[in-house]
Amino acid sequence: MNAMRSLPRLGLAALLVFATLLPLAFLVALSVSSDWFYPNLAPRRWTGANWDLLRRSGAVIFSSLRVSAALALATGAVSSISGLFAGRKIARLDGWRGRVAVACAFLPVAVPPLALSIGLQYSLLKMGLGGRFSGVLFAHVVPALGYTTLFFVGIFAVFDWLVEDEARSLGASPRDVIMRVTLPLLRRPLVEAFALGFLVSWAQVPLTLLIGQGLVRTLPLELMSYVSAGQDHLAATAGLVLTIPPLALLVVTALAVRRLGAVIA
Amino acid sequence: MSGGRRGASGLIVAIVVSSPVLAGIVYSILGALGVAGPGADGMSLRHFQVVLGDSATWRSILWTVWIALASTLAATILAMGAAAIFRAQQGVDRFARLVAIVPLAVPHVVAALCGVLILSQSGLLARLAFAASLQSSPADMPALTSDRYGIGLIIALVWKEFPFLALVAFALIAQRGVALEETARTLGAGALRTFRVATLPALWRGLLPAMIAVFTFVAGNYEVAVLLAPSSPLALPLLTMERYTDSSLAARGDAFVLVLLAIMVSLWGVIAHEWFASRVEVVE
Repeated sequence: MNAMRSLPRLGLAALLVFATLLPLAFLVALSVSSDWFYPNLAPRRWTGANWDLLRRSGAVIFSSLRVSAALALATGAVSSISGLFAGRKIARLDGWRGRVAVACAFLPVAVPPLALSIGLQYSLLKMGLGGRFSGVLFAHVVPALGYTTLFFVGIFAVFDWLVEDEARSLGASPRDVIMRVTLPLLRRPLVEAFALGFLVSWAQVPLTLLIGQGLVRTLPLELMSYVSAGQDHLAATAGLVLTIPPLALLVVTALAVRRLGAVIA
Repeated sequence: MSGGRRGASGLIVAIVVSSPVLAGIVYSILGALGVAGPGADGMSLRHFQVVLGDSATWRSILWTVWIALASTLAATILAMGAAAIFRAQQGVDRFARLVAIVPLAVPHVVAALCGVLILSQSGLLARLAFAASLQSSPADMPALTSDRYGIGLIIALVWKEFPFLALVAFALIAQRGVALEETARTLGAGALRTFRVATLPALWRGLLPAMIAVFTFVAGNYEVAVLLAPSSPLALPLLTMERYTDSSLAARGDAFVLVLLAIMVSLWGVIAHEWFASRVEVVE
C-alpha cells in the first residue's frame, strides 16, 4: 500500500530530476563532441578538443577565461574588504540614520545592471577607464560592494562588540583591535563575502559590455558570441566553465547547511 | 568616538558605497533632459515626450511585464508544488529538494544558452520530435525562441528562477507549514482543506517578497532577453540598449528616459518588497 502511494511521488521526483538536470547534461554532451547536427540525437564524434582549448594560451576561450577569473578574483577581494569596513560602520548606526544608510547600500543592488552601465559609462569614459580592465573592475565592484556591504551589515548586527571593548581595555590599539581581534573572528564571513563578490562579477554581462566597450572580453561575452556564431560546442563548454565555480560554492554551502541540520539538504 | 561623529561617518560611508549609482542616476536625469551626454541638445522635456508618446515604449513595457509576471507566477506555482510534495526529511524527498536547487548555481546567461540549445528549431526538442516522427524538418517545429509571446524566454526564466523560490518555499514549509497544518488537522480539516487553509496561505504570504525580487530582477535582465527574446516587440532592456547604441546621437536622450523607467520599476520592486516583508512579519 505504501509503495503504491509513493509511486506518484517517485514519478514527480523523476520528472523534477529530469527537467533540472537535462539541460546541464546536454551541455556536457555538447562540450565533449563535434559534428552534432539536426536531426541526429547523438554526435558523430566524441572529442576533448573543446576542453583542450581552455589550456591553449592562443585560444579566445582561454584568454577570456583568464580575464573573467582575474576580474572576479579582484572584485571579490576589493568588495569583501571594503564591504567589511562599510558594513561595520553602517551596522553601528541606529534610527533614521541606519535606515537611510541601508537604503543607500541597497541602491547598487536594486538598480538593473544595464541602467547602471549606461549611468556609469560617461563618467568612466571621461576618467579614461572605458575599454580598460580597471574600468570594468570598478564597474563590477559597484554592485558587488552593495551586496557585501548589506551582507556585513547583517553580520555586524549580531556581532559581539564587547570583544573589541575588552581588547581595547587590555591596551590594544585600534589597528590591533581590527587586525588581531575583529578580522580573525570574521574569517569565515570574509571568505563568504569574497565568494559573493566573485559571483557578481563572474556572470556579469551588461557592465562588461558597455564599460569594456568590446575590448575587455570575458567568458560570458564570448559565450554570447559563440551562440550568435552558431558555435554550440564552444558555447556549451564556456557555459559549463561558467557554472563550475557557483556550483562548487553551492555544494560547499549545502554541506555546511547539512552540518547545521537545516531543511534543504 | 561620539555618537554624532560615528553617525556622520557611517552615513558618509553609505553615501560613498552608493555614490556611483547616484552619479549614474543624476547623469541619466540630465541626459533625459538633454543637458548631458553625447546627444545633449539643450534642456527640454522633448525626450520624455518622444519616449512616453511612442507606442513602441508601451508595447515594450507591457511585453516585459508579461514576461516577468508569467515567469514569476509559473516558477512560484512550481515551487509551491515542490515544497508541498517533497517535504519528508529523508529519502526521495530530500534528494528531490537537493536536485531542485541545482540551477541556482547556473548563471543567467548559461540558462539562456540552454534555452537556445534545447528549444530552437534545430535544438534537442526538435531532434526528439524528429526521432518520434512528429516532424520532418526544423520548420515543422513551432518557434519557441525569439517568438512573439516569449515562450522560450519564459521557460528559460522559470527553469532559472524556480530553485530560488523553491528554496524559500522549502524553508517556509519546514518552519511554519507543518505546525499550521497540524493545527488545521486538530480542528478537523481533511487533507485538501488543510492544504487550502493552512499550507497554501503560509506559502503564499512567505513567498511574496521573494516573488517581487524575482519579478524585478527578471524585468531588468538583459542577457537572457538578448539571446531568447524577439526583435518585435522588444523587451525593455533591449529597447534601451538599441536606443543607447543608435547611430543617431538624438536617440541617446531617449535611452536615458528608458533607463529612468527601468530604475522606477526596480525602486517600485524595492518598496513593494519592504512593504510585504513587514506585513509577513506582522502576520507571523
